[in-house]
Amino acid sequence: MKAGALIVGFVLAFFTESLPLGPLYVQLHPDFVALLILYWALSSSQALSYVAIWLIGLVQDLLLGDLLGAQAISLVLMLVLLYTWISRVRRLPPWEQLFFIFFLLLAQRVSAWLWQLWVVPIAWHNSLLLGPALGAALWPLLTYLLDQLQRHWPQRRG
Amino acid sequence: MSAMSLTRPLPSLLRFVLLAAISIGLSFYSVEHPSLQQLGLNLARPMLWLNGQLNDAWSASSQYLQGQAALQKENSVLRQRVRALETENLALPVLRTENRQLLALLDSFPTAPGRVAVAQIEAQNLLAGNQQITINLGSAQGVYIGQPALAPGGVVGQVVVVSRDNARISLLSDLSSSIPAQPLGGDQPLLVDGRGNLQALSVPFQPRDTKLAPGTELITSGLGGRFPPGLPLGVVEAVRRTSSGPFAQVVVRPSANLAALSTILLLWPQTRHSSHQ
Repeated sequence: MKAGALIVGFVLAFFTESLPLGPLYVQLHPDFVALLILYWALSSSQALSYVAIWLIGLVQDLLLGDLLGAQAISLVLMLVLLYTWISRVRRLPPWEQLFFIFFLLLAQRVSAWLWQLWVVPIAWHNSLLLGPALGAALWPLLTYLLDQLQRHWPQRRG
Repeated sequence: MSAMSLTRPLPSLLRFVLLAAISIGLSFYSVEHPSLQQLGLNLARPMLWLNGQLNDAWSASSQYLQGQAALQKENSVLRQRVRALETENLALPVLRTENRQLLALLDSFPTAPGRVAVAQIEAQNLLAGNQQITINLGSAQGVYIGQPALAPGGVVGQVVVVSRDNARISLLSDLSSSIPAQPLGGDQPLLVDGRGNLQALSVPFQPRDTKLAPGTELITSGLGGRFPPGLPLGVVEAVRRTSSGPFAQVVVRPSANLAALSTILLLWPQTRHSSHQ
């Protein structure tokens, strides 16, 4: 994936995490950072660095004031799970891929929740399920938009 | 992104375990040492600034895209509200004088509400467990830990982390939040606790025959000295009594709309000593 498109994508993904759009958005909004990492991993021919993904998660923790390390390790876990089955996932028909994306997003969000449980007794909440479900539903649209962004991104000269 | 796609010298599981160990250490350290959160806030400054700019652009564009009819309707509602407030303001000098006289009778001294500053939200995390917002004012502007934060309607929370240019506010609904309160017009000391829900707070340890009833307004009591007394906190929405539990469950709706905050007012409460100077 092109570096410029990736940076713009991550800035926008971080931005969507903190949009003041009311309680429904809080409940429903998917983790766009995780979705972008999944797209990046699936579209890249080389394996992504766990350390790079961990650092992206750490930026998310810093930005949102989460327990340091919670998002970071949950994103790495999601990537480990993806790489365990990546060749199979790439061959899946698009609609079957959605279930796998849902599973990965759910694993990421639930692991971040479990990670924070030892500090704050957070009860299970609907957004843990609804966010990944909407994220999976948006996956085809998101991949289309990111494909277009990559295609139309100016080529580096030289 | 070939630079980011590094070759992997260690087995995948080992790398994951190493990162997990670092994360555990970081998590433990950040809980024990709040200064790390302050450092984190400093490091996140460029990203927060960018987020603030994007938030401003978002609200400006959403206003721009509003139709003429919607703007006219909003304008008319605001005009009506201004008229109502102007009428209420007429009574203010009389009430102020009365208040001074009553305080003099009680051998107390009137205190001004204090200085306020308007802050913009640069990031927010409203998921249950860690309901915090980050604003664009920090220690450079005199923001301090424990400072009360307000929004239209009432109290929204207090400052918990401060860096030079930013501060993080823990909302009333955060699981760690607990604020001394009392019913409006009463003197029963209460606590209003967050429970991870933006639209519902709770009042713990209320007996089954509690006098709190739906519709009772709760205000800050001033106990603890962090919040000045009399600031609106919320309204009792429901009082549930179960046959098994020893306490009644009191559900409070926050006075401020915590889910749709855009501007925050930071309050520097004026102490009695400073108000006399």
